[in-house]
Amino acid sequence: MEVLQSLADGFAVALTFENLGLALIGCFLGTIIGALPGLGPSNGVAILIPLAFTLGLGPTPAMILLTSVYYGAMYGGRISSILLNIPGDEPALMTTLDGHPMARKGRAGEALTLSGIASFVGAFFATWGLVFLAPLLVKVALLFGPAEYFALFTLAFATLGGIASRNQAKAVFAAALGLGIAMIGVDGQTGVPRFTFGEVHLYDGIDFLVAIVGLFALSEVFVFIEQAATRNRGERHQDDHPKIGRILPSWSVIRSCTPSMLRSTVLGFLAGVLPGAGASLGSFISYSIEKRLVDKEGTFGTGDPRGVAAPEAGNNAAAGGALVPMLALGVPGSGTTAVLLAVLLSLNITPGPLLFQNNPDVVWGLIAALFIANFVLLALNIPMVGMFVRILMVPTRFLMPVVAMVSFVGIYGISGSSFDLLVMIVFGVLGWVLRKLDVPLVPIILGILLGAAMEKNLRRAITISNGDWTTLIHSGLSITLWVIAIVGFVLPIIVGPALRGRMAMRRDEESSAVD
Amino acid sequence: MSDRIFGVVGILLSALFIWRATVIQESFMSDAVGPKTFPIIIGTILGLASLYFIARPDAEPVWPRFTGLIEIFMAIVVLIAYAIALPELGFAITTAIATAYLSWRLGSPAWQALLAGLLTSGGLYLVFRVILGLSLARGPFGF
Amino acid sequence: MKLANVVKTTLLALGITIGAGLGAVFAFDPENPECIAPADPGGGWDFTCRQVGKSLQDEGLIPMTMQVTNLSGGGGGVAFAEVVNKRNDDNNLIVAASSATATRLAQGAYPGNTMDQVRWLAAVGSDYGVIAVAANSPVNTLPELLDQIKMDPTSVSIAGGSAVGGWDHLKVLIAAKAYGIDDVRSVKYIAFDGGGEAVTQLLAGSVQAFTGDLSEAKGFVDSGDIKILAVLSPERLGGEFADYPTAKEQGVDAIGANWRGFYAPGGMSDDAYNYWVNDIATLYASDAWKAVMEANGLAPLNLQGDAFQAFVADSVASITQISKEIGIIQ
Repeated sequence: MEVLQSLADGFAVALTFENLGLALIGCFLGTIIGALPGLGPSNGVAILIPLAFTLGLGPTPAMILLTSVYYGAMYGGRISSILLNIPGDEPALMTTLDGHPMARKGRAGEALTLSGIASFVGAFFATWGLVFLAPLLVKVALLFGPAEYFALFTLAFATLGGIASRNQAKAVFAAALGLGIAMIGVDGQTGVPRFTFGEVHLYDGIDFLVAIVGLFALSEVFVFIEQAATRNRGERHQDDHPKIGRILPSWSVIRSCTPSMLRSTVLGFLAGVLPGAGASLGSFISYSIEKRLVDKEGTFGTGDPRGVAAPEAGNNAAAGGALVPMLALGVPGSGTTAVLLAVLLSLNITPGPLLFQNNPDVVWGLIAALFIANFVLLALNIPMVGMFVRILMVPTRFLMPVVAMVSFVGIYGISGSSFDLLVMIVFGVLGWVLRKLDVPLVPIILGILLGAAMEKNLRRAITISNGDWTTLIHSGLSITLWVIAIVGFVLPIIVGPALRGRMAMRRDEESSAVD
Repeated sequence: MSDRIFGVVGILLSALFIWRATVIQESFMSDAVGPKTFPIIIGTILGLASLYFIARPDAEPVWPRFTGLIEIFMAIVVLIAYAIALPELGFAITTAIATAYLSWRLGSPAWQALLAGLLTSGGLYLVFRVILGLSLARGPFGF
Repeated sequence: MKLANVVKTTLLALGITIGAGLGAVFAFDPENPECIAPADPGGGWDFTCRQVGKSLQDEGLIPMTMQVTNLSGGGGGVAFAEVVNKRNDDNNLIVAASSATATRLAQGAYPGNTMDQVRWLAAVGSDYGVIAVAANSPVNTLPELLDQIKMDPTSVSIAGGSAVGGWDHLKVLIAAKAYGIDDVRSVKYIAFDGGGEAVTQLLAGSVQAFTGDLSEAKGFVDSGDIKILAVLSPERLGGEFADYPTAKEQGVDAIGANWRGFYAPGGMSDDAYNYWVNDIATLYASDAWKAVMEANGLAPLNLQGDAFQAFVADSVASITQISKEIGIIQ
């Protein structure tokens, strides 16, 4: 087992007091960055790069610090998703769907712990996948040409229906709206501006962070203001605190979530390996597949623990998977790995096909660091759950203004432009109206996130084939993806009404039982 | 009714989108698909979904009463003012004022709201500027 | 483009970290020195700013920490406009720039702005372009590839990391034009997000050729996955790169270099301008830096002050000309 020997060498490199201390700092800062809406893993790592250099760290310690931040942010994103219904970063989007309903039912502690465990499982096994499969998986990435990528993105949208809304048409509308927003800006293929109305700020398009924070965080603030106004004036209201509940989920809950976690880990990891697909797609596909597979009673979306475990395992596994093409090909699988790639280069290490031969100490030190970060995060997160849950105890009249301001500061700190803040307010108002109309917000974000890549790959495929659209179904892989996409879209429409009827009946039974 | 209005707005949006897509200036060099095709496909899907809302609207949502709408409108105005004033007046002052306003309208007594404003402003400065080292708006007094 | 930027800047930044020297005494000392990165954190310009800022401080060339401000939008256009309109006489400000900046200025992509509105400080290095194919490709020389394109332009898809009309694209067109392909618009260019992704698609067999920078291609050449048909440098590079033929020696008179550097506000005082030019020059001039450039396929570009100003002007002029010939701008 040459691999295990190398890994042991890696641990020998990584296990020093200094490195463990750095892992701890990185995990802690990463968790905070992930939890703050507006700051995600990629920004987090970029922001902390100067810290790594200021401390004068060598290649291995620097990478340990920054990958700890990376994994930490992936863990942290879930916290505000669950507690506030505001995704801390884009891969944590799907966690809002069941995480927040759990919190509202007084199971916030359980949701946080469970998602922490799921994150650990996802990241842990993905790191093993990185150890053993990196060279093989590179070949998987090479199966995907532009036509296959386009089919994959279509699959993502096709299986979207009914995930976040009871009205399939509204999910379609939301997805199209998101895709439309993604079209704003200079067209990457021809350089012509589209839908910019001559506004130079729009040339780079609308940052999905601005959209996420506006749609989720600001619209939440408006909802609370509306509620405050609806209450009778003068009457000092009681903030309705959700109960904290137990911190550790029961074994039966963990056991019921285990298959979901494992399946999602595999799916998320594979999504992460594909360059350009990334963690968001990983968590998203994990959630929709789990919903199709195990959601027999229609409890997904109402606080089902499996709906928390699946996307968290998926997105953390994808974070590990994204390191495969970054290390083995020098091609980042996500925004964050792009930043890490830059760091490696600045440390005079060239990721790519020769990395494992030329710099084994760095690679294996890095992989050992990932394992260490994982355990540190688990150890750090479970005891901190109680602390996080206390955030829910802060009265909303103090909490929501802080949320709003964190959103503004986060966006302004990154882009330095008032224009982005104004766009964010527009998204806030839009989010408030769309919530009223029961239009799901998640597909909008996914549209913004994936739209550009989807169009680009379509156009690349057609250009390469000299205008022949049948190129989209030329390979076995793309045909398979298309079939899954079509089944995924049509099936809920046919089966949906029957299921929904059963769901409604069950709900009635449940509520009458509770009363 | 709300869904029907929404459907009409959606169709107008889709029409505007498709129209803006058709007037995108093609550059001399283009790929086989061009910059217009995909937006037109999206615009069409947007329109079709909107048609469905008109045909089969969902149940009416609960809209806030007039006072609620005024509150939301005022909050929007304050936030817009904040976004514009931030680079001019600096982070600390504007953030304190905006936080205090929101907290007050969410039901805090005035003195509590003010305190919340000051603490939020200071706390965020600490986290974002001091710990994370992001550049916040500087303003005339340097903070 | 973004990744390509990251890669290139990083390499440069690295060089600067190692490069060191002594600062001269000037009539100006910056208070609150600031570097604008016209992109989000993590981008290439951002990295240039953060690294240069840090190195300058480490070497004692600036008295305090350089604040890095991210001002993204419009491919650098928002920052350019901000500097011209609002910060025109700020002596403490420098802004990261590259060939991409010159390309956009040349193509009028910063509406209403021209290169004369700012003062160009200094370059910190450059990266020569390459044209490459997969290792198992039957094509072995640049003329062979260009002949194929000449015979049937639809048969060869060329992948690159920049947008259509961007620098990676222009390099191929410059070569095609030099080889006598008159309708360069028929050359099939596929834009990817960064050189790495483009190389991956070359390996996947989706495309037949790759255009990018030497630093992007190096790892894949060493591992035997791709072969370089031509380096777009005036003469062969040194060190381990000496084996790669230039386009010129194959009869294709094409040169393409991606430079990186800084500009400053147009109203900056001469004292401040000289101070910054000298600071960057001091960083640049060190033996360690040269070794790093050699190891990474970066070519020296020792241009400061007026010489750099003239270089950027030339660069903009030649890009304007080729863009017109190709038909990207009228």
